[in-house]
Amino acid sequence: MNISPLNICLLGVIGLVAAGFYGLLTTRNLIKVVIMLQILVKAAVLGLITAGNISGQLYVTQSMAITVIVADTIVAVIGMAFAIQIRRQVGTLDTNELSSLRG
Amino acid sequence: MTLPVWAWIIVLPLITSPLIYFIGHLGKSRGVFAQRTALLAFAATWAAFVLAAQDLQHNGISKLMVGSISLKFDGLSLLLAMIALVLGSFVVIFSGHYLADEEGQEKYYAMLMAMIGVMIGLGCTNDLFNLWIWFEAMAVTSYLLVAFYKDLPTSLEAGIKYLVQSAAGSTLVLLAIGLVVAETGALNLDEIRQTAESSPALMAAGILFVIGYGVKTALVPLHTWLPDAHSQAPSGISAMLSGIVIEAGLIAMLRSLSALSGVTTLWGPLLMSFGILNMVVGNLMAFGQAQVKRMLAYSSLVHVGYMLIGLGIAFSMRDVIGAQGGFFHMFNHGLMKGLAFLAAGSMLYTLHISKGDHRPLLFDDLAGAAKRYPWAALTLSIALLSLAGLPPLAGFMSKWQIFVAGVDTHNGWIIAVVAFAALNSVFSLTYYAPLVNTVYRCEPSAIVLSGKRLPVVMKLPLVLMALGIIAIGIWPSLMNWLTEPAGTALLAGLGG
Amino acid sequence: MAAILVLLTIGLPWIGALLVLLTGNERPKLQHAVASIISVAAGISAVVLLWFTSDQPVLSIPMGSVFGVFTFVPDALGVLLAVIANVVGCLAVIFSIDYMKGNEQLGRYYALVMFFIGAMAGLGISGSLLLMFFFWEITAFCSYALISFDNDDPKAVAAGIKALIITQLGGIGLLVGALIINSYVGSYQISAFLTKAETLPFNVLVLLAFGFLAAAIAKSAQVPLHTWLPDAMEAPTPVSALIHAATMVNAGVYLVARFFPAFEDVPGWTTSVLVVGMISALLGALMALVAADLKRALAYSTISQLGYMFFAVGVGAVFASQFHLLSHAIFKALLFLCAGAVIPAVGTRDMRQMGGLRKTMPFVFTVFVIGSLALVGLPIANGFFSKELILEEGLMHGPMWAYIGMLLGVGLTALYVSRMVFMVFYGESHGEKPIHDGLFWMRVSLTALSIGVFTTWLLAGVLSDLMAQTLPFHGVHAIGTFELAKEIILAPATWISIAVIVLGIGIWILREPLAGIKNLLRPVARIIENGLGFEQLNQGIINGTKNLSAALHLTQTGQLNWNILGIVGMLSALFALLFIGV
Repeated sequence: MNISPLNICLLGVIGLVAAGFYGLLTTRNLIKVVIMLQILVKAAVLGLITAGNISGQLYVTQSMAITVIVADTIVAVIGMAFAIQIRRQVGTLDTNELSSLRG
Repeated sequence: MTLPVWAWIIVLPLITSPLIYFIGHLGKSRGVFAQRTALLAFAATWAAFVLAAQDLQHNGISKLMVGSISLKFDGLSLLLAMIALVLGSFVVIFSGHYLADEEGQEKYYAMLMAMIGVMIGLGCTNDLFNLWIWFEAMAVTSYLLVAFYKDLPTSLEAGIKYLVQSAAGSTLVLLAIGLVVAETGALNLDEIRQTAESSPALMAAGILFVIGYGVKTALVPLHTWLPDAHSQAPSGISAMLSGIVIEAGLIAMLRSLSALSGVTTLWGPLLMSFGILNMVVGNLMAFGQAQVKRMLAYSSLVHVGYMLIGLGIAFSMRDVIGAQGGFFHMFNHGLMKGLAFLAAGSMLYTLHISKGDHRPLLFDDLAGAAKRYPWAALTLSIALLSLAGLPPLAGFMSKWQIFVAGVDTHNGWIIAVVAFAALNSVFSLTYYAPLVNTVYRCEPSAIVLSGKRLPVVMKLPLVLMALGIIAIGIWPSLMNWLTEPAGTALLAGLGG
Repeated sequence: MAAILVLLTIGLPWIGALLVLLTGNERPKLQHAVASIISVAAGISAVVLLWFTSDQPVLSIPMGSVFGVFTFVPDALGVLLAVIANVVGCLAVIFSIDYMKGNEQLGRYYALVMFFIGAMAGLGISGSLLLMFFFWEITAFCSYALISFDNDDPKAVAAGIKALIITQLGGIGLLVGALIINSYVGSYQISAFLTKAETLPFNVLVLLAFGFLAAAIAKSAQVPLHTWLPDAMEAPTPVSALIHAATMVNAGVYLVARFFPAFEDVPGWTTSVLVVGMISALLGALMALVAADLKRALAYSTISQLGYMFFAVGVGAVFASQFHLLSHAIFKALLFLCAGAVIPAVGTRDMRQMGGLRKTMPFVFTVFVIGSLALVGLPIANGFFSKELILEEGLMHGPMWAYIGMLLGVGLTALYVSRMVFMVFYGESHGEKPIHDGLFWMRVSLTALSIGVFTTWLLAGVLSDLMAQTLPFHGVHAIGTFELAKEIILAPATWISIAVIVLGIGIWILREPLAGIKNLLRPVARIIENGLGFEQLNQGIINGTKNLSAALHLTQTGQLNWNILGIVGMLSALFALLFIGV
């Protein structure tokens, strides 16, 4: 496989997705969970830009990427707000301790 | 530029949403003001809806370009708008008393209104990325509504799980969009369908769509957030989540997947496989639950399963009856499950919440409830029996339509699937029927005896929805005006 | 006119149900009055419908899209079912005035009973398979709700759900069958299917035949799906009389009789029907012989008598099966209602604690004996003619071994009926003195049914005539009542079976010396009591499901990482399928 910028981007997407999901599977800290979600979103943003590059629609995908960043910032903010509220009400950020709902 | 009349169904809820919030802030009794404003907003939106429905019937599908974003109003949009408005109206009427003692009611009504607006918008989009935006907006509003009881640990736990899983799913959708753009260079669904050819990248994109939107649709095993969120949210929101939000996810999935219909013939079998998995797992999980709302939540999995079977048949066979049946069941499920959650919610309200208690409602709490709450008991029973598919109730008819589509294929496998679905329907009686029996005991439980009277306003939506279920059960073609265009729209989306 | 009558027959009970509910439990007297007046009116309208039988739909309602046309065809087969439902129904309601006196949930009781009556009539008259299935399910639901009417009793709740699940499981056969017929014939109309049955692919027809048979077996509580019926005896006794003796359990027989012309050429089908009938007739009788609970004994006897009807269809005697269906509905309802009078009077269902009631309850004794005469099949009671007709047809058209089996059943019937009558009414009193000898309204409906026992056989001629006229596919020949009676009385089969009956009663009288045989039979009886291992199979399935469900509940751990694994796992699995498998 030759090392073209495109391939680097693709590898970057795959790597970020893998890292993000690996993190979500292993971390128990809510703050880290939100960070992992952000990593996943960054993978998606990179993916969109790469796709725009491949198909020659860079103009469209760039504006999409910006929209995605905005949208996911909102999600991140809400996630953080939840995390804070959980810390206050439950007194922990460990997701494994947040498992009262089961069965 | 003048907006077409259907655009107002989207615009009205979205502009009234902040209005509700501000008006709610004006008076002392915030909730009452906010609720009344929301009701007015609903009245206006209903008017727009009626005009739009007539317009669709007479003039057919209409499109609108806002910049480079293309919107269109077809049968699927009509269906989604109808379910959202029916459920939304009942939920707003119901929530007046239910939330009377809570803080932040104006936020609740504003968010609910916004959620309905974006859901209707989701139904009207004809563009892959735009679809995602609406979807994400819907998700954001629903996160906040699920965790409405922001001081309750269980409610927060449900909210964060829902948020994380849903957000992870939506990034998968973005990746899928990236793949589609890379392959076809298009975002418009019609253009994609015309250019999409069989390729591994598009196959992968399809799978990412199924999994990404599947989290919201609660496909097994992506469903794990659902029982928590449905059982912890305020009952009105449980009704919305189960009756329309997961279905909106399903419609988003169908729209995206239908653009890729030329890529492979496997989408139909894939949907049907998920349907079977959902039925089995949902039934087994609902069986043996002690909490009423959790049982209802798992039963949503089963019903998504039935819809998937009908829609899977539509995908495989380009069969309009399967699509119609799936959508008919979607509408009926909205009514039945909405009613079940609201009826259970009314009991939860009078037995626990009105006493400031946020314990879950257990089966045993409802023992003998019929004696003091005959209407709530009767409507809950009607909802449960309709969910189980007993005639003369709506659930029977829509399942029947799905089964007709299955058997009409004359395909041995699909007929076996139909028989299996019927078997699951019978099995579901093992958890619905005992609840009905419990409600009609002669000797009320202590908690029922100590319950408050149920306000008339709370009974109103219950009785209306129950009447709707019976009417559709006796006269199934009552809903043809809704399901037929939706089925046709899906088939048109498949290019068939 | 016919259309209005059809609507009244089905609609009146349903309206009555609604009215009783709206009356409210605070006004029990009004509830009793509304229920009985409306059900009597419905009974009359069903009887009048006999003059308007037709093989054509009298009422068609197009339902649009895939739901076809809902048609009502009041042919003889269907109207018979409707008449039985509404007439026995109104007698059961009248009986309930005294039986249910003082019950708190009278509204629910009457509403369900009347909802059932209307649905049962509809099941008979419907000419569309979808409509028939619609009513079929409603009857199953009402049966469930009435069995577990006493929701405070866990046994009643379990029995109700069991009945519902088993009949529904069988119902899948009917559901898939109806869908397949619609798909291949292009319509749900039963007449359209009977016309075109021969054009269907062979394997499809086989599937249909056995699917419908499964539905019929479950609904009519035939072996091996019979275990729900004895448990269903938790229901209030008028309900047992109406639903679990006179009407709903007949629906299975009705189904096989209705579709007999389409399936008679399917290899093995008639034999299967015949064998199911014979086994049920024999095992039911054996179980009735050992049961100690009066209502359970009667339930086993119902299984046995329904077996006779299945047998009749199996040998091609559709008319005989329907004739016996009519007789059985009358005399078994009578016997059950007698039980309904005895049980509250003495406060127990256990026959061992009864005895000697002949003197203290003379009225009930008399009518019980009348019912027993018919059940055993002694002359001038309706059961005599219909059962002898079945045996005669069996001798002429069926295999010899089956005939002998059925004959054995006749002897066993005589034996268990003698035992029942003796244990309840003769001998020493083993319990408390009864508090009444049937209250007024109880006596009214018991009297009406007793008259029915002696008179309904006179309808044989009319019935055969109507069936010949309105059933173009069944090939029933019209025959006059007295011609038929003469034929039956002169037939050798009749004399043989009367001899067997006398033998059966004789064995009961000589039971002391034969006690050894009884003990010999006891282990067999126990196996049968448990449903020949089917009860264990049921339990096994239930336990298996429970365990599976419990195991699956563990997978919902509530941990976020685990939930994410669901997403990642499914995604990887699908990618693996895509790039490796497909």
